[in-house]
Amino acid sequence: MTSFRLGREGKVVIGLGARLRSLLPRRTIVSDVVQGIIVGGVLAFITFHALAFAYATKENGWTTMSGCAEPSTGILLRGACNYVFEGPINAPQEAAYWTTSTDGAGQELTGAHDYTLHFPPHGLPPNNAFWSLTMGNTRNQFVANPINRYSVSDRSGLVPNADGSVDIFIQHTAPAGHESNWLPAPTGAFKLWLRVYLPGQSILNGKYRVPPVVEVR
Amino acid sequence: MMRMKHKHLITFGSVMIVAWALGTFLFAYFWPHFVYNHFKKAILDQGFGSGPVPINTLYVEPQAVFADPLHTVLPPGSSNLLTVGVNHDTLLVGGCLDLSTGPQVLDVPGFSGRYYSVQFSDPFDVVFAYVGTRTTGTQAGKYIITGPDWKGAVPPGMRRISSPSNSVLVLGRVLVYGDNDLSTAHDLAQQIEIMPLRTGQAGP
Repeated sequence: MTSFRLGREGKVVIGLGARLRSLLPRRTIVSDVVQGIIVGGVLAFITFHALAFAYATKENGWTTMSGCAEPSTGILLRGACNYVFEGPINAPQEAAYWTTSTDGAGQELTGAHDYTLHFPPHGLPPNNAFWSLTMGNTRNQFVANPINRYSVSDRSGLVPNADGSVDIFIQHTAPAGHESNWLPAPTGAFKLWLRVYLPGQSILNGKYRVPPVVEVR
Repeated sequence: MMRMKHKHLITFGSVMIVAWALGTFLFAYFWPHFVYNHFKKAILDQGFGSGPVPINTLYVEPQAVFADPLHTVLPPGSSNLLTVGVNHDTLLVGGCLDLSTGPQVLDVPGFSGRYYSVQFSDPFDVVFAYVGTRTTGTQAGKYIITGPDWKGAVPPGMRRISSPSNSVLVLGRVLVYGDNDLSTAHDLAQQIEIMPLRTGQAGP
């Protein structure tokens, strides 16, 4: 199997070589080495990109990464964390982050639809500091809205349902009767960030599940 | 002719495979360092609206930027790196330390139970220390941050943070409870200070 693959790649490379021969003066050891480094380097970046996202876990549409920013974090995972989050992030005991640009069914989030995020009774993210759900557009910027609300959180006065569960209404226009639990969305595509600082035990041991964002039909 | 092609293919192929394997490792190893340098450059060369942030000082996100993140226009040339993540929870504090000329002292006020953290990263983004609610509590305190070559006595009343490198990235976060708490939170954030160690200096 391996030799067959090598053979195919070989044919492709020789074919490419034939085409390149008309452009290049001549194949030399130097050109072989230079081309090897260039092609190998590109493949290395693609591999790194794939590995980085392979470390991310996805559940109910939400992507998260655990084990970042600890002294024991290995080289690959540290690279992956920095690559996926594009900056220094917190140790798991300090903060947990989830992000999604799709609903629980895998459809892209857009202000053209209305969504709810339903936390069951006692189902809000356990923490010893705070949690928040923040709205961003596809360029990861805050979204303008008539009530200047950029996130909902433990500090935003969410009104629970009679059974103690909490619904967050994620939509472009205000939900009548549920304004207190409204997270304003843009008209187009958007991305959500869930932050939990000083996360509770069930988050640290991976048992906590963030509920899916559900489209209201 | 065929033999020549194979010779070139073998050279190309073996170089490619080595570059692929080694390159993957190098990308993973150095990516955090690229990110670190990106932050360092943004802090020291660009700043976040009020000019470059001098080494061994801390920038504090202004109240206006937190309160109205959409309508605050930063002057040209400034970096939006610290405020680019959609974060409407914590005021951000950031700076770079150079410990080659001696230790620096981190002075934090009392936070009365409020969540805050100060995170210390080395040039490969290894977080080697935290000061804050989780790790040290919310009482006021002074911390001496020492480089790898420092030899000396820790001043009484101070706790030591040993940095593995003379170059350190400091990121602080102070929780804002709400709009009417912003000025209180900002006052506290401004009291997180970095200063050089003076001879004979002691903790609180």
